[in-house]
Amino acid sequence: MKRLSYFEYRVPKTVEEAIELFESGGADARLMAGGTDLLMKMKHGAMTPKILISLKKIDGLDTIAFSEKTGLTIGATALLADVASHPDIVEHYPAVAEAARGTANVQVRNMGTVVGNLCNASPAADNAPTLLAMGATVHIQGAGGKRDLPLEEFFKGPGLTALRGAEMVTSLSVPLPPAGAGAAYLSLSARGKLDCTAVGAAAMVTMKGDVCDDVRLFIASCGPTPLRAPGAEQIMRGKPISDDILEKAGEIATGEASPITDLRASADYRTRIIAVLAGRAIKAASKRALAR
Amino acid sequence: MKKFSIVGKHVPRNDARAKATGTAVYTDDIKLPGMLHGRILRSPLAHARIVSIDTSKAAALPGVKCVITGQDIPKVKYGNWRLFPDTQDEYALAVDKVRFIGDEVAAVAAVDLDIAEEALSLIDVEYVELPGVFDVDASIKEGAPVLHDYCPTNISVNRKIHYGDVEKAFAESDYVREDIFTVHAVSHAYLEPCSSIAQCDLDGRITLWTSTQVPYIIQCLLASTLEMRENDVRIIKPFVGGGFGGKMELRTWEFCSAFMAKKTGKPVKFTLSREEEFLAGRRRHPMKLYSKVGFKKDGTITGKDFRVHLDGGAYNAMGPTATFLCGNFGAMLYRYPSYSFQGEHIYTNKPPASAMRGFGAPQAIFATETQMSIAAEELGMDPIELRIKNAQVSGDKIPGVATISTCGFIEALEKVAQMSDWKEKRANPKEGRGIGIGCYSFISGGAFNWFNTQYPYSAAEVRVFDDGTAHLLTMAADIGQGCDTAVKQILAESLGLKMEDIRITSADTAMTPQADLGAWGSRLTLFNGNAVLNAAEKIKAKLFGAVSARFNLNVIHEFECKDGKVYPKGRPDRGLTFGEAVGLVQKANRGEPLIAHGYYTPRDKGLVTPAFSFGAQVAEVEVDKKTGIVDVKKFWTAHDCGTVINPRAAEGQLEGSIQMGLGYALSEQFIMDGGKTLNTNFLDYKMPNAMDMPPSEVVHIETYEPEGPMGAKEAGEGLAIPTAPAIAEAVFSATGYRCRDLPITPEKILNAIEPRERPKSAVK
Ligand SMILES: Cc1cc2nc3c(=O)[nH]c(=O)nc-3n(C[C@H](O)[C@H](O)[C@H](O)COP(=O)(O)OP(=O)(O)OC[C@H]3O[C@@H](n4cnc5c(N)ncnc54)[C@H](O)[C@@H]3O)c2cc1C
Repeated sequence: MKRLSYFEYRVPKTVEEAIELFESGGADARLMAGGTDLLMKMKHGAMTPKILISLKKIDGLDTIAFSEKTGLTIGATALLADVASHPDIVEHYPAVAEAARGTANVQVRNMGTVVGNLCNASPAADNAPTLLAMGATVHIQGAGGKRDLPLEEFFKGPGLTALRGAEMVTSLSVPLPPAGAGAAYLSLSARGKLDCTAVGAAAMVTMKGDVCDDVRLFIASCGPTPLRAPGAEQIMRGKPISDDILEKAGEIATGEASPITDLRASADYRTRIIAVLAGRAIKAASKRALAR
Repeated sequence: MKKFSIVGKHVPRNDARAKATGTAVYTDDIKLPGMLHGRILRSPLAHARIVSIDTSKAAALPGVKCVITGQDIPKVKYGNWRLFPDTQDEYALAVDKVRFIGDEVAAVAAVDLDIAEEALSLIDVEYVELPGVFDVDASIKEGAPVLHDYCPTNISVNRKIHYGDVEKAFAESDYVREDIFTVHAVSHAYLEPCSSIAQCDLDGRITLWTSTQVPYIIQCLLASTLEMRENDVRIIKPFVGGGFGGKMELRTWEFCSAFMAKKTGKPVKFTLSREEEFLAGRRRHPMKLYSKVGFKKDGTITGKDFRVHLDGGAYNAMGPTATFLCGNFGAMLYRYPSYSFQGEHIYTNKPPASAMRGFGAPQAIFATETQMSIAAEELGMDPIELRIKNAQVSGDKIPGVATISTCGFIEALEKVAQMSDWKEKRANPKEGRGIGIGCYSFISGGAFNWFNTQYPYSAAEVRVFDDGTAHLLTMAADIGQGCDTAVKQILAESLGLKMEDIRITSADTAMTPQADLGAWGSRLTLFNGNAVLNAAEKIKAKLFGAVSARFNLNVIHEFECKDGKVYPKGRPDRGLTFGEAVGLVQKANRGEPLIAHGYYTPRDKGLVTPAFSFGAQVAEVEVDKKTGIVDVKKFWTAHDCGTVINPRAAEGQLEGSIQMGLGYALSEQFIMDGGKTLNTNFLDYKMPNAMDMPPSEVVHIETYEPEGPMGAKEAGEGLAIPTAPAIAEAVFSATGYRCRDLPITPEKILNAIEPRERPKSAVK
């Protein structure tokens, strides 16, 4: 069995205490939520932090809250399993719940967090595309104070985020979707049910009658971060949903992504699939919008 | 059908409670006082000459107790084909040369794993890299790099089978079908990685606990490589978490733990990581299969020409047997009046391929079955009809090779067609859906003696006691397949006892009777079951004598052991309890323990096996034609394994087989860059898991195999064969894409149904 190298394990009780520890630990310190990404990397020697700062004992950090006015808030240690089954999320943000439920397996969902999934910044992260499409904001706190950042500006590359120095994400919020809006996320991989996503697409579509009034479209696992497809969005706006226009949007989205060949799929296959999934995600989102 | 009280019942598995509660002790769980931890240094190069190895820095690291290389060990090669010493091509640690990435070069034993790991990084090996060969075509080209000096052609085994006149058969055929198939390597991916721990006693004797399928083979080969006597080596098999053919040879860590325990006087343990297993572990043979079959207009087969190149990797491992069985299974299932086979086992600079569930048959039968379905289409026949027309039946003989005593193949074909609503679904296919069939036959143990043993193929000892209990000692190796339970059931049935009346001790070469060739080739239920029955019969003869004398019975009576009693048939009143009968026998013999030895070695059963299993499986799939993703909706299986000893265990074998077949057909493959394996973890090695399992229905076709214990045959490996061809045919009927090169990937399907130019963005 792979073994972990030696590290110190700290369990702060407040966000402030966590940030203090993080700052004093510097490059040697690492925040840990569920550890389902972090501990794997440590076992493989890809990361060797000397201090682990667990966020799990910070009171209230696992809050999931919803109000019609402020929308949805997901705390940093809210579990994937809790997000997947929370009644308010299931009712008002079904695509967010589905993305969480589609992540990993029961055991991992009972340990891992949605915020951890984002902070890990994998281009294949299953929770990112939906939250991007729905215009989520991350709430950040550091030694210098608090700041908010649109999720769209959060990802900087594989494993890289906009977090600076001893900053952490305390929560993320998702605005209440506009009237007539629906969202959907589709992903695909070689194994089927439990696998790292090879191509993913999420859309939030706002319908006016049967015309697509607005759409936000993101493609996962086909670039260094989840990528927005503004050209595809543009061509959809103001048009009724038809197979023709979906095909065209898919084609444009393909050009807006930058798939590579890796162990999970070839660039060629990814290129073909982006168009299919983008079209399907928009269609599914519009159906959901119309059903609301 | 005979009536049984324990055989054929849902008896809970012997190991179920221990595994469910986590108390089962596997090799890596064993901790001995003063134990050292071993690690292996592996070659980073696919083919290279070793110029020098400097271990001095590693040996000087505090905590390191022993460092060895190929120079420190007896120069004894090993391999399971002892009958043909030429094929024994492996040293425990590389001598002079490495032949694949992961080849074992040196071993370290230290007080903890971290130190052992650090010591590996302190060993300096100077290599001169040699050109490598990574596929069979390159390996047999003129002037190709040679892997082993003894084998300048790189073809280490060449096996031929001929009967009938194939050329004449083709000339007289109305339709001749010729295809080339390729199949890929997959991993056994047993959940327990290989592990062994050895201890050396003060007399110099070795005890080795090891995760193996073949304790007796390990005992013999470890003794010869250590230059010891066999009886001075004791192998104990603890709980084993699966083998599937990947744990049936002596391996480096088994040798090193024993050798280093001897050298240091301390126990030494090695446990491989999953990454090592994927990087360097055994695999299923990739093969290139050329197959030509002749038919009459009405579908009758006239003959077959079958030529196979097995990609063996760097060493023979179990490749010779896979070559042999591939040839035999090319001629199974259907009646081939003439047959010609040539199989060549070829070295390449990749991890050695070896035995894996089905052992050459999954590859041969993927070709057979796909070709039968192609032929059915071209002859305008239903694929099941064409199969029934040519199916083997009970009593069929394969010239000079085997006699099929029981065969429920046609019944299985008919049953599976009915269960799956085959006719209706083929006639009125739904868009995107397809249904396909695959069949199998397999051996119930091998009759061949390439291990060259003087002992019986399987043996058992039964001790009975006057408290009405029995102790079964057997060398049969339960590796999770459940043979401990099966042989206990057979003994309980035979002696008329309950499962809880029987204690079992298995697979400890110093305690359990010599010998057994191990858990492979689907042999234990039949072979060891027969050995157990043989011992039980001897016990019963004594008990019957005692009861007969006690009641002064007429000598013509037949006796029975049932419900804990021994009595003349039809006269339970004239009987004794089992314990009383045992007591009486002992009393009559001045207390001599009542013990019997049983054994089984097939005799006069041909060259292959004493009995064949058969079966048919239908798969239904739905294919997303835009993404190429295949969703398997359901499996229907009808199989003939003779008497089913334990229905749940048989169904467990089927479920496990489907899981492996799914992976083989659709998702599992090694991604290689030359000789380097790139996907060395379960994230990137796509083995299906519980969530991917489609629903499945099964029917056991009842036959009674006269050579089997209580009519039983195998149910372990054959079932792993039909799934890939069934899925391939179902995908064809859904999409028109015919797979001739496994695996069936979404990309291959898309390219076939919607070919298009390579888009520019692919170049990025
Ligand atoms: C078997 C298995 C299957 C998986 N399947 C999937 C899958 O299908 N889809 C998928 O998307 N992922 C999958 N994953 C990956 C993983 O489980 C998810 O990414 C998970 O959501 C990570 O959450 P965590 O709480 O465990 O994060 P951790 O491992 O604790 O942290 C991940 C990273 O984020 C940082 N971090 C965590 N919290 C914060 C914070 N509040 N502020 C700043 N930085 C922070 C950590 O320092 C670390 O670098 C799988 C993992 C496993 C082991």
